[in-house]
Amino acid sequence: MDIIWFVVFGGLLAGYFALEGFDLGVGMHLLGRPRGQRDEMVAAMAPFVLANEVWLIALAGAMFGVYPQLESSVVFALYPIVVGMLLSWVLRDAGLWFRRRLPGDGWRAAWDLAIGLGSLGLTLGWGLVLGALVTGSPGLLGLAIGVVLVLLFTLHGRTFLAWRTPEAASGMVAVKPVTLWMFLATGALAALPALAVVVGGAGYLLNHSAPSSTLVTLGLMVVPFAPIMVGAQVWVWRTFRRADRQPSFF
Amino acid sequence: MDVLDLARLQFAVTGSLHFLFVVLTLGLAPLVAIMNTRWARSGRPVFEGMTRFWGQIYVVNYALGIVTGLVMEFQFGLSWSGLSHYAGDVFGAPLAMETLVAFFLESTFLGLWIFGWRRLPKWLHVACIWMVVLTAYASAFFIMIANSFLQNPVGAVERGGRLELADFGALVSNPALVGALPHVIGAALLTGGMVVAAASSYQLRRRTAEVELFTRSLRIGVVTAAVGIFVAVASGHAQFGLIQPGKFEGNAGAGIGLGFMILLGEMALFPLLLFFGAAVSRMPRWGWAQSLLIGLTPLPFVISILGWMAREIGRQPWLIWERLTVEDAMSPGLTPGMITGSFAGFVGILGLLAVIDYVIIVRIVRRGPVELALGA
Repeated sequence: MDIIWFVVFGGLLAGYFALEGFDLGVGMHLLGRPRGQRDEMVAAMAPFVLANEVWLIALAGAMFGVYPQLESSVVFALYPIVVGMLLSWVLRDAGLWFRRRLPGDGWRAAWDLAIGLGSLGLTLGWGLVLGALVTGSPGLLGLAIGVVLVLLFTLHGRTFLAWRTPEAASGMVAVKPVTLWMFLATGALAALPALAVVVGGAGYLLNHSAPSSTLVTLGLMVVPFAPIMVGAQVWVWRTFRRADRQPSFF
Repeated sequence: MDVLDLARLQFAVTGSLHFLFVVLTLGLAPLVAIMNTRWARSGRPVFEGMTRFWGQIYVVNYALGIVTGLVMEFQFGLSWSGLSHYAGDVFGAPLAMETLVAFFLESTFLGLWIFGWRRLPKWLHVACIWMVVLTAYASAFFIMIANSFLQNPVGAVERGGRLELADFGALVSNPALVGALPHVIGAALLTGGMVVAAASSYQLRRRTAEVELFTRSLRIGVVTAAVGIFVAVASGHAQFGLIQPGKFEGNAGAGIGLGFMILLGEMALFPLLLFFGAAVSRMPRWGWAQSLLIGLTPLPFVISILGWMAREIGRQPWLIWERLTVEDAMSPGLTPGMITGSFAGFVGILGLLAVIDYVIIVRIVRRGPVELALGA
């Protein structure tokens, strides 16, 4: 049971990086762009954001249930980083929800800045977290991983834009036709650093699983819902895969 | 204030902010789903208008529910690592179910509903909002299981200085849950109903062009609020036989919360709403009643927070009743600098966003159903 939950945990983490990775990448691309382009970029990712960010919330839930010890030791050990990441995440989300709620260029520009800086802060925070998990403390390595993640996510975000709405991406990249496979490839790249850290820490994680009674109970309760969860995610991609020119709520 | 006080206050403030938005989300969601269903069935523009207008308020409110919830969830690890160390194997299970299943689905289906307008087939779109309702209430159920465990730790055995899950069924049938869950649902319906009734009253008093839309909404709001407060009062009284003995004795904060909740909710609002509910067909013509409803809008929110104060301050000094104190649950090594910095960040940013969110909602109410982004 502990191995099954380890695989689920690793899958959630990789999924989060591959999916939310392009949202954060697109968010960082907003910085310094004119309003029309920002609108198109946000509209391109908007239908996916809610379905993507829940992977991290599910991951946190799994950590609470499956690795309660890890939850207290890792989250608390990285206190200032976690606080900074949460604030970045909150600002990014608030920017998306609020940017079109009141009229005015200034209002929208301010929230787009919040989306951009929030995405950047969250990405760098992940680098520091991964660095700390490898070396024991968030140091230069963490910062370096953070920079790598910024590059990977912006690449992934650009691929996403070029794949889904080539018009929105024009002016920022030399428009080459991007296939689904290229998008999947940058997604895999974005997930690679996190996946490497989890696989490297497999022994530690398996030694710190919750007792089997908890794992079995959780498993029995999650299994009936798993097909609905997977189905809902697939449905999001089937519904919004093709870009449309309708106004976006975000 | 010392570190412990600040950590408690931080959780209390983020938790209260979270609930202010959650209680309206839970109350509005079923109403929006019903309106959407009636629109799908009849195809009438008035129901489309209702779905989009109340839906827009619902999703703007939902945004703050998400971000406050995020901060709250991670505070368990930041400030209260002693809780997951001692009871994580038990307490973590319902919390994991909430995030892993309920919230995951709620957010995914809400995205499908918001962005699937005019894209998804009509009835699949309706199904999405009903899935949102179902999973929102499932969330409330799992969270209340976790909270009730803190009030009355059943279904767990202590082994080697830590609690282990022995009986999940006992967590679900916890006496601390049985009365509290309907109480929370009643409070949510009261809040959702009151907000719909008050906003409709405002539009009717301002001679809106959308008379039918807001007359219907006013009736729905008044009836929902009356049903909600009836459920809340009845399940509130039922709880007195189920709570921990001595909870409100010698605990001033909890006593004050309980006292004012009963005074405002049961003595003032309860008879008024039952009267309005009985006279619902006259409400669209009673200008004075509409003005009264507008003025009373903050009341369900105030009462909800008072109720949580009674329940949570009444638990002190225990985090898990007679098992683990709040003091022992605090993360060892939490320094004044850490808690002050995070307090300023969380409370400052979330407080600011909450104010902005309410300004946006008030603006939607004042403008009425024009130029709505939802479903455009």
